[in-house]
Amino acid sequence: MTSPVSKQFEDVAVGEALPALETAISLVSLVAYAGATWDFHRYHYDGAVAASLGFPGPFMDGQMVGALLARQLMAWGGADAFVRKLSFRLREMVFADETIVITGKVKDKLVDGGRPLALCTLSVAKADGTVVVRDATAAVELASRRQG
Amino acid sequence: MDSRITDDLKGWIGREVTYTAPEEIGRAAFRYFALATGDDNPIYHDDAFAKATRHGGVVAPPTLVCETNQFMNQAVDEDGYVGHKWDLPLPHTRFIRGGNDYEFHQPMRPDDRVSVTWRILDIYERKTQKFGTLIFVVSEARYVNQRGEVLATNRETNIYAP
Repeated sequence: MTSPVSKQFEDVAVGEALPALETAISLVSLVAYAGATWDFHRYHYDGAVAASLGFPGPFMDGQMVGALLARQLMAWGGADAFVRKLSFRLREMVFADETIVITGKVKDKLVDGGRPLALCTLSVAKADGTVVVRDATAAVELASRRQG
Repeated sequence: MDSRITDDLKGWIGREVTYTAPEEIGRAAFRYFALATGDDNPIYHDDAFAKATRHGGVVAPPTLVCETNQFMNQAVDEDGYVGHKWDLPLPHTRFIRGGNDYEFHQPMRPDDRVSVTWRILDIYERKTQKFGTLIFVVSEARYVNQRGEVLATNRETNIYAP
């Protein structure tokens, strides 16, 4: 749930944890994301096509991981926040009917060119502990009482 | 040792393609994307709420702008695909997404009509014990609106595996 009050830069503690985000990735989730991004490739919803390509099942678009990382950052930072940078490497694919958990924390905070930024690291893991993304990095511009 | 990086393949480095959306993105696209990612943040759909924030109005979920397919005006191919791809001369390989580096300059807004330019920055190979020779293709997309303002850049590394 997104807080109606935006996080203020001054209130951020380095080391602070971002609320974990657990998401069940159903075939419906894959179809909804594919539709929202105009990506109708069969391997996102057709198990037989995915199997013919050597995959165990329909799989998630890698950019959906980015979307969920951004969702978590914005839920934490509030509506005034703006994600400036987000980088991640995919170590594993995510398949239909898997659940992923995104965890993160604030690694540092700084004002860069007048912008109050929280630098965060995030990781994505499956329910069985398999790491999907290790140490994604993000810079989130936050509201600030001092910076206006 | 045999390299799979042929001169033909190297010739693709620096290639560029631009797609321009035929219309404004529209706020329904923001709500659809938020729904698909389970995101209840009102900044993407609630005008009255959004006006009171420093964004001054509804904005797109951050990574939506980096989804190129919506800006193209292309027929669906036999695999169901409708988006951007490079037809690299890499037969008998499978395509795996390696990751993304997004940089956001300003949020996408409902009246933005977006153009995206994709460019291949590098192609290289890595020999691995586990997967054989992997070919890495690094591309960068730059998304601009109708006023030429840069909304975002997206550097993408994709892997072609045997």
